[in-house]
Amino acid sequence: MKRGLITWDKTELPPSVFEARLVRARAALAKHDLPALLVYSDVWRSTEGRHLTNFMPYWNRSLIVIPREQGPVLLCGLSPRVYPWIKSVTVFEEIRPASKLVPALLQLCAERAWTKLGVLDLPRLTHEIYLPLAASSLGISDVKLELTDDAEIAMHQRAEQMAREILVAELPKGVGLTDYQLSGLLERAFRRAGAEDLVLLFSTGDSAPRPARGAMLGDKYSVAVALEYRGHWARLTRGLPL
Amino acid sequence: MSERGWDSILLYGNAWRKDPFRSLVNFNFSGDHALARLSRSGEVTATFSDPWDAEIAAGKLQPDFEKAFAAGASAIAGLEFMEERFVTACGTLPVSATADVEELRRVKTAEEIGCIQQACDLADRGYQHFAHVIEPGMREFELVAEVEAFLKTNGAEDNFMLIASGGTEVVGMKPPTDRKFQMGDSVTTELTPQVNGYYAQICRTLVLGEPSREQFKAFEIFSEAQGAAQDLIQPGITAAAAARAQNDVFRKYGYGEYTGAKYTRVRGHCLGLYPDETPHILEDVDYVLKQDMVVIAHPNTYLPLSGYMVFGDTLLITETGNTRLNKTEKKLFTK
Repeated sequence: MKRGLITWDKTELPPSVFEARLVRARAALAKHDLPALLVYSDVWRSTEGRHLTNFMPYWNRSLIVIPREQGPVLLCGLSPRVYPWIKSVTVFEEIRPASKLVPALLQLCAERAWTKLGVLDLPRLTHEIYLPLAASSLGISDVKLELTDDAEIAMHQRAEQMAREILVAELPKGVGLTDYQLSGLLERAFRRAGAEDLVLLFSTGDSAPRPARGAMLGDKYSVAVALEYRGHWARLTRGLPL
Repeated sequence: MSERGWDSILLYGNAWRKDPFRSLVNFNFSGDHALARLSRSGEVTATFSDPWDAEIAAGKLQPDFEKAFAAGASAIAGLEFMEERFVTACGTLPVSATADVEELRRVKTAEEIGCIQQACDLADRGYQHFAHVIEPGMREFELVAEVEAFLKTNGAEDNFMLIASGGTEVVGMKPPTDRKFQMGDSVTTELTPQVNGYYAQICRTLVLGEPSREQFKAFEIFSEAQGAAQDLIQPGITAAAAARAQNDVFRKYGYGEYTGAKYTRVRGHCLGLYPDETPHILEDVDYVLKQDMVVIAHPNTYLPLSGYMVFGDTLLITETGNTRLNKTEKKLFTK
């Protein structure tokens, strides 16, 4: 789960990066003559929202609304007590509490006189959101966006570099340990380096890589790492002997 | 299934919400999607989107996961958080089995209780480690790294953890920041390790240095509130009553306004294959608690005395009351 350091280093990802991404999203809206774009976000499905706004819901679900003419709005399932922190690590200036996401969205649309809405990757919207939205008077349509740019690639490279360096340094320490113990060593190293999330799979050659289960590692094993660094994932597998 | 007239049900899990799937097939899949199919005759099949999961669990592999739903089903547990493309692939709109399956999951078997006890033991040891390694100058995320390392080393599959540090300006917990701990800080955390699929939780507050009179006073209120719930919880008691017992303590001391949504979320919740299972312990939840349910009562909230404070233990509801599954001392920790 997302329990590592969630932050926004503006030297790493300047606000201008997000401004450019929002400009591209608004261009897509203009092309389809849509007044706003809806982006779904939850603990695991956070990549698109993170790309556009740097928001990552460490818990719960949220809806991101990007109007064509105004600043983005976050409809947030989290408590207003954490909104100041969310504002400090995202581009949002407006955050609305939304324990019920769809009614909050429909309210926003009514306030702004929107009769239609673009939805980023509509077929992948969760059913719980889709169903009441499709039943409403709001017209919804699928919007695709290109979510890759130079800044995105650079962040993935940074995540990959972190994964590679730490894995190469820590992997040999697992000789004679259990996969639980090596998992602990890797958790410490990655989280201290700023990893937000981490998925570790181990193999000693007798099966496909799998989560730690207390198996002895011996002196020949591999570790598959999926690492999330500031919203950007890298996957890497290394085996011992290196 | 017979009562509902269902011939088959699907139990869907994704990387965030594995719990419906794992309630039938307790396999910790690492791919994006997993689906279990249960027929009325009792036949179970599992389908995975990831080839490694399929190989290890000896299940079916379906990389194009929409096809896993092509046969449809009478009902689906986890329907609400399925992607719409999967629902469409079912053909006719399925009925949700989520509420029925969640109700079945609330009352734990002896084996499930054993897993939760193991998770509680690990939560206790994890908190001991937390209290041992924290020191002024350490950053919040560095402490979390140490706790994560400890929990994983000792067999946790996963852990849900929030933290906060500081004084009366702190109004809630969140993921760790790079803030450095300072003497006088109140450091709050909830640890929620997962063992064999099952989560247990502990909430404690630690003060770096000598606690102030206000911090002690606040802790006494939290301790009394948690104790009130623990004394009350037994089969037949509603979640509302368990919440009210806690909130009434705050009201007694003149802090009733801090029991509402502005300052707090819930006064507890159930635990199991998901760390925040329903029913939530809230004054408007009339669900009647049952034997062998596992709940945490935690009156976590903001108080102007101390800032945000947390205190809670995992409780197993027994025939006549409850048993506290955590063993960690019920005190305001200091270092």
